[in-house]
Amino acid sequence: MRQPGQQSAPSNEATVHRTASADSASLDLVERCQTGDVDAFAELYARYSSRIFTLTARMSGSQQTGEDLLQEIFLQAYRKIGSFKGDAALGTWLYRLALNHCLDFVRSRQAKMEKATDALEVDGQGTTAMAPRESPVERIDLERAMRQLPAGCREVFVLHDVEGYEHKEIAAMLGIAEGTSKSQVFKARMKLRALLT
Amino acid sequence: MITPHPDDVTLNEYADGTLPASQQRVVDAHLSTCGSCRAVVDSVRQLRTAVRQLPPLSPPRHVWTRIERALRASGATRTSTRWQWLAVAAALAVAVLGGMKLSDLRRASSSPAPAQAVSGDAPTAQSIAAELQQAEQHYQNAIAGLERIANSERGSLDPQVASTLEKNLAVVDQAISESRAALKAQPSSEPAQASLLESFRAKIDLLQDTVGLINEMRRGAGANADARRTSPGLSQKDQ
Repeated sequence: MRQPGQQSAPSNEATVHRTASADSASLDLVERCQTGDVDAFAELYARYSSRIFTLTARMSGSQQTGEDLLQEIFLQAYRKIGSFKGDAALGTWLYRLALNHCLDFVRSRQAKMEKATDALEVDGQGTTAMAPRESPVERIDLERAMRQLPAGCREVFVLHDVEGYEHKEIAAMLGIAEGTSKSQVFKARMKLRALLT
Repeated sequence: MITPHPDDVTLNEYADGTLPASQQRVVDAHLSTCGSCRAVVDSVRQLRTAVRQLPPLSPPRHVWTRIERALRASGATRTSTRWQWLAVAAALAVAVLGGMKLSDLRRASSSPAPAQAVSGDAPTAQSIAAELQQAEQHYQNAIAGLERIANSERGSLDPQVASTLEKNLAVVDQAISESRAALKAQPSSEPAQASLLESFRAKIDLLQDTVGLINEMRRGAGANADARRTSPGLSQKDQ
Protein backbone atom coordinates (compact mmCIF):
# COMPACT_ATOMS: atom_id res chain seq x y z
CA MET A 1 0.00 0.00 0.00
CA ARG A 2 1.20 3.44 -0.79
CA GLN A 3 2.22 5.47 2.25
CA PRO A 4 0.80 8.96 2.87
CA GLY A 5 4.15 10.56 2.18
CA GLN A 6 4.17 8.98 -1.24
CA GLN A 7 0.75 9.96 -2.48
CA SER A 8 0.51 11.77 -5.76
CA ALA A 9 -0.71 15.31 -6.12
CA PRO A 10 -4.48 15.85 -6.20
CA SER A 11 -6.12 15.54 -9.58
CA ASN A 12 -8.60 18.40 -9.19
CA GLU A 13 -7.69 21.07 -11.71
CA ALA A 14 -8.50 23.83 -9.25
CA THR A 15 -6.11 22.60 -6.60
CA VAL A 16 -3.52 20.65 -8.49
CA HIS A 17 0.13 21.03 -7.48
CA ARG A 18 2.14 19.77 -10.39
CA THR A 19 5.46 18.30 -9.40
CA ALA A 20 8.07 20.71 -10.64
CA SER A 21 11.42 21.74 -9.34
CA ALA A 22 11.58 24.86 -7.21
CA ASP A 23 12.29 28.19 -8.90
CA SER A 24 15.28 30.27 -7.94
CA ALA A 25 13.24 32.73 -5.88
CA SER A 26 11.85 29.85 -3.80
CA LEU A 27 15.32 28.36 -3.36
CA ASP A 28 16.58 31.73 -2.19
CA LEU A 29 13.71 31.96 0.28
CA VAL A 30 14.41 28.45 1.54
CA GLU A 31 18.10 29.23 1.97
CA ARG A 32 17.22 32.21 4.11
CA CYS A 33 14.77 30.12 6.15
CA GLN A 34 17.47 27.51 6.67
CA THR A 35 19.67 30.14 8.32
CA GLY A 36 16.94 30.78 10.89
CA ASP A 37 15.79 34.06 9.35
CA VAL A 38 12.33 34.73 10.79
CA ASP A 39 11.59 37.38 8.17
CA ALA A 40 12.13 34.83 5.42
CA PHE A 41 9.86 32.41 7.21
CA ALA A 42 7.25 35.16 7.51
CA GLU A 43 7.40 35.49 3.73
CA LEU A 44 6.93 31.74 3.37
CA TYR A 45 3.97 31.91 5.73
CA ALA A 46 2.41 34.83 3.88
CA ARG A 47 2.73 32.94 0.62
CA TYR A 48 1.25 29.60 1.67
CA SER A 49 -0.69 29.97 4.95
CA SER A 50 -4.05 30.59 3.29
CA ARG A 51 -3.78 27.45 1.16
CA ILE A 52 -2.76 25.34 4.16
CA PHE A 53 -5.32 26.87 6.49
CA THR A 54 -8.06 26.15 3.97
CA LEU A 55 -7.04 22.50 4.12
CA THR A 56 -6.69 22.27 7.90
CA ALA A 57 -9.89 24.14 8.75
CA ARG A 58 -12.00 22.14 6.30
CA MET A 59 -10.45 18.79 7.18
CA SER A 60 -10.88 19.33 10.91
CA GLY A 61 -14.26 21.03 10.61
CA SER A 62 -13.20 23.59 13.19
CA GLN A 63 -11.70 27.05 12.94
CA GLN A 64 -9.82 26.60 16.22
CA THR A 65 -8.44 23.17 15.35
CA GLY A 66 -7.58 24.45 11.88
CA GLU A 67 -5.52 27.23 13.48
CA ASP A 68 -3.77 24.79 15.80
CA LEU A 69 -2.94 22.46 12.91
CA LEU A 70 -1.70 25.38 10.82
CA GLN A 71 0.65 26.42 13.62
CA GLU A 72 1.93 22.87 14.09
CA ILE A 73 2.49 22.45 10.35
CA PHE A 74 4.51 25.64 9.96
CA LEU A 75 6.61 24.87 13.04
CA GLN A 76 7.23 21.44 11.58
CA ALA A 77 8.09 23.04 8.24
CA TYR A 78 10.60 25.28 10.02
CA ARG A 79 12.25 22.25 11.61
CA LYS A 80 12.26 20.29 8.35
CA ILE A 81 13.10 23.03 5.89
CA GLY A 82 16.70 21.77 5.90
CA SER A 83 15.49 18.61 4.15
CA PHE A 84 13.98 20.58 1.24
CA LYS A 85 16.21 19.86 -1.73
CA GLY A 86 14.35 21.78 -4.41
CA ASP A 87 13.39 18.69 -6.44
CA ALA A 88 9.71 19.65 -6.03
CA ALA A 89 8.03 23.03 -5.98
CA LEU A 90 8.11 24.63 -2.53
CA GLY A 91 4.30 24.80 -2.41
CA THR A 92 4.04 21.08 -3.23
CA TRP A 93 6.54 20.17 -0.54
CA LEU A 94 4.66 22.23 2.04
CA TYR A 95 1.26 20.95 0.91
CA ARG A 96 2.40 17.33 1.31
CA LEU A 97 3.76 18.11 4.75
CA ALA A 98 0.42 19.70 5.66
CA LEU A 99 -1.64 16.86 4.20
CA ASN A 100 0.37 14.23 6.06
CA HIS A 101 -0.07 16.19 9.29
CA CYS A 102 -3.82 16.40 8.67
CA LEU A 103 -3.97 12.67 7.96
CA ASP A 104 -2.12 11.94 11.20
CA PHE A 105 -4.69 14.10 12.97
CA VAL A 106 -7.58 12.26 11.30
CA ARG A 107 -6.13 8.83 12.14
CA SER A 108 -5.54 9.87 15.73
CA ARG A 109 -9.12 11.13 16.00
CA GLN A 110 -10.44 7.95 14.39
CA ALA A 111 -8.53 5.87 16.92
CA LYS A 112 -9.96 7.92 19.78
CA MET A 113 -13.48 7.60 18.40
CA GLU A 114 -13.10 3.85 18.00
CA LYS A 115 -11.88 3.61 21.58
CA ALA A 116 -14.83 5.67 22.79
CA THR A 117 -17.21 3.52 20.76
CA ASP A 118 -15.71 0.34 22.20
CA ALA A 119 -16.16 1.73 25.69
CA LEU A 120 -19.80 2.53 24.99
CA GLU A 121 -20.43 -0.95 23.65
CA VAL A 122 -18.83 -2.53 26.69
CA ASP A 123 -21.15 -0.43 28.81
CA GLY A 124 -24.07 -1.84 26.88
CA GLN A 125 -25.08 1.57 25.54
CA GLY A 126 -24.38 0.81 21.87
CA THR A 127 -23.18 3.43 19.42
CA THR A 128 -26.32 5.46 19.05
CA ALA A 129 -24.81 8.24 21.17
CA MET A 130 -22.24 8.77 18.40
CA ALA A 131 -24.84 9.09 15.65
CA PRO A 132 -24.73 12.40 13.77
CA ARG A 133 -27.37 15.01 14.44
CA GLU A 134 -30.08 14.84 11.81
CA SER A 135 -32.04 18.00 12.54
CA PRO A 136 -32.72 20.05 9.40
CA VAL A 137 -30.87 23.33 9.01
CA GLU A 138 -32.23 26.06 6.78
CA ARG A 139 -30.27 28.69 4.87
CA ILE A 140 -26.91 27.61 6.14
CA ASP A 141 -23.88 28.39 4.06
CA LEU A 142 -21.72 25.71 2.55
CA GLU A 143 -18.71 26.22 4.81
CA ARG A 144 -20.85 25.96 7.91
CA ALA A 145 -22.64 22.94 6.50
CA MET A 146 -19.30 21.23 5.82
CA ARG A 147 -18.26 21.84 9.41
CA GLN A 148 -21.40 20.02 10.51
CA LEU A 149 -20.56 16.87 8.60
CA PRO A 150 -19.75 13.92 10.85
CA ALA A 151 -16.04 13.30 11.34
CA GLY A 152 -15.03 10.52 9.01
CA CYS A 153 -17.16 11.40 6.03
CA ARG A 154 -16.10 15.08 6.20
CA GLU A 155 -12.41 14.28 5.71
CA VAL A 156 -13.14 11.96 2.81
CA PHE A 157 -15.49 14.52 1.26
CA VAL A 158 -12.90 17.31 1.58
CA LEU A 159 -10.16 15.14 0.09
CA HIS A 160 -12.38 14.09 -2.83
CA ASP A 161 -14.63 17.01 -3.68
CA VAL A 162 -12.51 19.93 -2.45
CA GLU A 163 -8.92 18.75 -2.78
CA GLY A 164 -9.58 16.61 -5.84
CA TYR A 165 -8.09 13.27 -4.81
CA GLU A 166 -9.44 10.07 -6.35
CA HIS A 167 -11.11 7.39 -4.25
CA LYS A 168 -8.24 4.94 -4.62
CA GLU A 169 -5.80 7.62 -3.44
CA ILE A 170 -7.97 8.46 -0.43
CA ALA A 171 -8.33 4.78 0.38
CA ALA A 172 -4.54 4.42 0.45
CA MET A 173 -4.07 7.58 2.52
CA LEU A 174 -6.61 6.68 5.16
CA GLY A 175 -6.21 2.91 5.11
CA ILE A 176 -9.82 2.28 4.16
CA ALA A 177 -11.49 0.37 1.32
CA GLU A 178 -12.14 2.25 -1.91
CA GLY A 179 -15.83 1.42 -1.56
CA THR A 180 -15.83 3.01 1.89
CA SER A 181 -14.41 6.19 0.42
CA LYS A 182 -17.17 6.25 -2.21
CA SER A 183 -19.94 5.65 0.28
CA GLN A 184 -18.56 8.28 2.67
CA VAL A 185 -18.51 10.89 -0.09
CA PHE A 186 -22.06 9.95 -1.01
CA LYS A 187 -23.11 10.18 2.63
CA ALA A 188 -21.50 13.61 2.96
CA ARG A 189 -23.19 14.90 -0.20
CA MET A 190 -26.60 13.72 0.92
CA LYS A 191 -26.07 15.27 4.34
CA LEU A 192 -25.01 18.55 2.75
CA ARG A 193 -28.06 18.52 0.52
CA ALA A 194 -30.20 18.12 3.60
CA LEU A 195 -28.40 20.91 5.43
CA LEU A 196 -28.59 23.32 2.51
CA THR A 197 -32.27 22.92 1.68
CA MET B 1 -39.47 0.64 -20.34
CA ILE B 2 -38.66 1.76 -16.79
CA THR B 3 -35.40 0.25 -15.57
CA PRO B 4 -34.59 -0.30 -11.86
CA HIS B 5 -33.20 2.71 -9.96
CA PRO B 6 -29.39 2.66 -9.79
CA ASP B 7 -28.06 2.67 -6.23
CA ASP B 8 -26.92 5.96 -4.73
CA VAL B 9 -23.19 5.29 -5.04
CA THR B 10 -23.67 4.54 -8.74
CA LEU B 11 -25.59 7.80 -9.22
CA ASN B 12 -22.77 9.67 -7.48
CA GLU B 13 -20.17 8.03 -9.68
CA TYR B 14 -22.28 8.86 -12.71
CA ALA B 15 -22.39 12.52 -11.61
CA ASP B 16 -18.60 12.41 -11.13
CA GLY B 17 -18.14 10.91 -14.60
CA THR B 18 -16.21 7.95 -13.23
CA LEU B 19 -18.53 5.11 -14.20
CA PRO B 20 -17.34 2.60 -16.82
CA ALA B 21 -18.86 3.32 -20.24
CA SER B 22 -21.16 0.27 -20.20
CA GLN B 23 -22.68 1.22 -16.83
CA GLN B 24 -22.92 4.83 -17.88
CA ARG B 25 -25.12 3.88 -20.84
CA VAL B 26 -27.44 1.96 -18.53
CA VAL B 27 -27.76 4.97 -16.20
CA ASP B 28 -28.24 7.28 -19.18
CA ALA B 29 -31.19 5.18 -20.27
CA HIS B 30 -32.66 5.20 -16.78
CA LEU B 31 -32.30 8.96 -16.32
CA SER B 32 -34.19 9.59 -19.54
CA THR B 33 -37.30 8.23 -17.85
CA CYS B 34 -36.71 8.90 -14.11
CA GLY B 35 -37.04 12.44 -12.79
CA SER B 36 -36.10 11.62 -9.19
CA CYS B 37 -32.76 10.07 -10.16
CA ARG B 38 -32.08 13.01 -12.49
CA ALA B 39 -32.69 15.33 -9.54
CA VAL B 40 -30.11 13.44 -7.47
CA VAL B 41 -27.51 13.69 -10.23
CA ASP B 42 -28.24 17.39 -10.81
CA SER B 43 -27.97 18.23 -7.12
CA VAL B 44 -24.66 16.35 -6.79
CA ARG B 45 -23.25 18.28 -9.75
CA GLN B 46 -24.48 21.59 -8.36
CA LEU B 47 -22.92 20.80 -5.01
CA ARG B 48 -19.59 19.85 -6.60
CA THR B 49 -19.55 23.08 -8.56
CA ALA B 50 -20.36 25.12 -5.45
CA VAL B 51 -17.67 23.38 -3.41
CA ARG B 52 -15.03 23.94 -6.08
CA GLN B 53 -15.89 27.62 -6.17
CA LEU B 54 -15.42 28.12 -2.44
CA PRO B 55 -12.83 30.83 -1.84
CA PRO B 56 -9.71 30.02 0.19
CA LEU B 57 -9.81 30.80 3.89
CA SER B 58 -7.48 33.27 5.57
CA PRO B 59 -5.98 32.42 8.94
CA PRO B 60 -6.38 35.08 11.63
CA ARG B 61 -3.33 37.18 12.33
CA HIS B 62 -2.73 35.80 15.82
CA VAL B 63 -1.68 32.42 14.37
CA TRP B 64 1.46 33.99 12.91
CA THR B 65 2.06 35.82 16.19
CA ARG B 66 2.07 32.46 17.98
CA ILE B 67 4.35 30.89 15.38
CA GLU B 68 6.77 33.80 15.46
CA ARG B 69 6.88 33.67 19.25
CA ALA B 70 7.72 29.97 19.13
CA LEU B 71 10.40 30.53 16.50
CA ARG B 72 12.08 33.28 18.47
CA ALA B 73 11.92 31.17 21.62
CA SER B 74 13.73 28.43 19.72
CA GLY B 75 16.55 30.78 18.81
CA ALA B 76 15.58 31.92 15.33
CA THR B 77 17.02 35.27 14.35
CA ARG B 78 15.95 38.16 12.18
CA THR B 79 18.04 39.00 9.17
CA SER B 80 21.70 39.03 8.21
CA THR B 81 24.38 40.05 10.67
CA ARG B 82 25.04 43.23 8.76
CA TRP B 83 21.38 44.12 8.74
CA GLN B 84 21.09 43.34 12.43
CA TRP B 85 23.83 45.85 13.01
CA LEU B 86 21.84 48.46 11.12
CA ALA B 87 18.74 47.65 13.13
CA VAL B 88 20.68 48.02 16.36
CA ALA B 89 22.09 51.31 15.13
CA ALA B 90 18.58 52.54 14.37
CA ALA B 91 17.34 51.38 17.75
CA LEU B 92 20.20 53.17 19.46
CA ALA B 93 19.33 56.34 17.59
CA VAL B 94 15.75 56.00 18.71
CA ALA B 95 16.81 55.42 22.28
CA VAL B 96 18.83 58.61 22.27
CA LEU B 97 16.17 60.63 20.50
CA GLY B 98 13.35 59.34 22.63
CA GLY B 99 15.27 59.60 25.89
CA MET B 100 14.37 56.07 26.80
CA LYS B 101 16.49 53.31 28.24
CA LEU B 102 17.76 50.69 25.80
CA SER B 103 16.48 47.97 28.12
CA ASP B 104 12.99 49.41 27.76
CA LEU B 105 13.29 49.41 24.01
CA ARG B 106 14.48 45.82 23.99
CA ARG B 107 11.62 44.82 26.22
CA ALA B 108 9.11 46.65 24.08
CA SER B 109 10.53 45.16 20.91
CA SER B 110 10.62 41.60 22.12
CA SER B 111 7.70 41.19 24.51
CA PRO B 112 5.13 39.16 22.61
CA ALA B 113 2.15 40.14 24.67
CA PRO B 114 1.76 42.44 27.63
CA ALA B 115 0.06 39.77 29.70
CA GLN B 116 3.25 37.72 29.65
CA ALA B 117 5.35 40.59 30.87
CA VAL B 118 3.61 40.58 34.23
CA SER B 119 5.50 38.47 36.72
CA GLY B 120 4.52 37.21 40.10
CA ASP B 121 0.82 37.82 40.73
CA ALA B 122 -1.77 36.74 38.21
CA PRO B 123 -2.52 39.53 35.75
CA THR B 124 -5.71 41.50 36.23
CA ALA B 125 -7.61 43.33 33.51
CA GLN B 126 -6.26 46.60 34.87
CA SER B 127 -2.66 45.42 35.03
CA ILE B 128 -2.89 44.09 31.49
CA ALA B 129 -4.32 47.38 30.27
CA ALA B 130 -1.53 49.27 32.05
CA GLU B 131 1.12 46.98 30.57
CA LEU B 132 -0.39 47.37 27.14
CA GLN B 133 -0.42 51.14 27.49
CA GLN B 134 3.20 51.11 28.63
CA ALA B 135 4.30 48.87 25.78
CA GLU B 136 2.36 51.01 23.30
CA GLN B 137 4.10 54.11 24.62
CA HIS B 138 7.50 52.50 24.05
CA TYR B 139 6.53 51.57 20.54
CA GLN B 140 5.18 55.05 19.84
CA ASN B 141 8.44 56.59 21.09
CA ALA B 142 10.49 54.28 18.90
CA ILE B 143 8.27 54.95 15.90
CA ALA B 144 8.41 58.72 16.42
CA GLY B 145 12.21 58.66 16.60
CA LEU B 146 12.57 56.51 13.50
CA GLU B 147 10.06 58.65 11.61
CA ARG B 148 12.05 61.76 12.40
CA ILE B 149 15.18 60.19 10.95
CA ALA B 150 13.39 58.72 7.95
CA ASN B 151 11.41 61.87 7.10
CA SER B 152 14.41 64.17 7.31
CA GLU B 153 16.42 62.04 4.88
CA ARG B 154 13.72 60.56 2.68
CA GLY B 155 14.79 62.78 -0.21
CA SER B 156 17.92 60.69 -0.62
CA LEU B 157 15.82 57.66 -1.53
CA ASP B 158 14.98 56.59 -5.03
CA PRO B 159 11.43 57.93 -5.75
CA GLN B 160 10.15 54.46 -6.61
CA VAL B 161 11.49 53.02 -3.37
CA ALA B 162 10.06 55.97 -1.41
CA SER B 163 6.67 55.39 -3.04
CA THR B 164 6.73 51.69 -2.12
CA LEU B 165 7.63 52.61 1.44
CA GLU B 166 4.73 55.03 1.61
CA LYS B 167 2.32 52.36 0.44
CA ASN B 168 3.65 49.80 2.89
CA LEU B 169 3.49 52.26 5.76
CA ALA B 170 -0.12 53.00 4.83
CA VAL B 171 -0.88 49.25 5.00
CA VAL B 172 0.72 49.00 8.45
CA ASP B 173 -1.09 52.13 9.66
CA GLN B 174 -4.35 50.63 8.48
CA ALA B 175 -3.56 47.46 10.45
CA ILE B 176 -2.85 49.57 13.54
CA SER B 177 -6.18 51.39 13.13
CA GLU B 178 -8.07 48.12 12.74
CA SER B 179 -6.33 46.62 15.77
CA ARG B 180 -7.17 49.70 17.84
CA ALA B 181 -10.82 49.44 16.78
CA ALA B 182 -10.90 45.73 17.69
CA LEU B 183 -9.30 46.49 21.06
CA LYS B 184 -11.76 49.28 21.72
CA ALA B 185 -14.63 46.89 21.09
CA GLN B 186 -13.05 44.15 23.21
CA PRO B 187 -10.40 45.59 25.56
CA SER B 188 -9.55 42.21 27.10
CA SER B 189 -9.15 40.39 23.80
CA GLU B 190 -5.67 38.83 23.71
CA PRO B 191 -5.67 38.42 19.92
CA ALA B 192 -6.53 42.12 19.55
CA GLN B 193 -3.75 43.09 21.98
CA ALA B 194 -1.25 40.86 20.21
CA SER B 195 -2.38 42.19 16.85
CA LEU B 196 -1.85 45.81 17.90
CA LEU B 197 1.65 45.12 19.23
CA GLU B 198 2.48 43.06 16.16
CA SER B 199 1.40 45.98 13.95
CA PHE B 200 3.65 48.31 15.92
CA ARG B 201 6.55 45.90 15.52
CA ALA B 202 5.86 45.71 11.78
CA LYS B 203 5.99 49.50 11.56
CA ILE B 204 9.24 49.64 13.49
CA ASP B 205 10.72 46.96 11.24
CA LEU B 206 9.72 48.91 8.17
CA LEU B 207 11.09 52.17 9.51
CA GLN B 208 14.31 50.46 10.55
CA ASP B 209 14.61 49.14 7.01
CA THR B 210 14.10 52.67 5.75
CA VAL B 211 16.73 54.15 8.02
CA GLY B 212 19.17 51.40 7.10
CA LEU B 213 18.56 52.03 3.43
CA ILE B 214 19.11 55.73 3.88
CA ASN B 215 22.39 54.98 5.67
CA GLU B 216 23.53 52.87 2.77
CA MET B 217 22.52 55.51 0.26
CA ARG B 218 24.43 58.14 2.15
CA ARG B 219 27.50 55.95 2.19
CA GLY B 220 27.12 55.58 -1.55
CA ALA B 221 26.67 51.83 -1.34
CA GLY B 222 24.33 51.86 -4.29
CA ALA B 223 24.72 48.21 -5.17
CA ASN B 224 23.91 47.07 -1.68
CA ALA B 225 20.99 49.44 -1.48
CA ASP B 226 19.57 48.04 -4.69
CA ALA B 227 19.75 44.58 -3.17
CA ARG B 228 17.87 45.78 -0.13
CA ARG B 229 14.98 46.93 -2.30
CA THR B 230 13.98 43.31 -2.67
CA SER B 231 13.93 42.67 1.08
CA PRO B 232 10.60 41.66 2.69
CA GLY B 233 10.19 44.98 4.48
CA LEU B 234 10.58 46.98 1.30
CA SER B 235 8.68 44.81 -1.10
CA GLN B 236 5.14 45.70 -2.02
CA LYS B 237 2.74 44.34 0.58
CA ASP B 238 0.01 42.67 -1.40
CA GLN B 239 -1.26 40.17 1.12
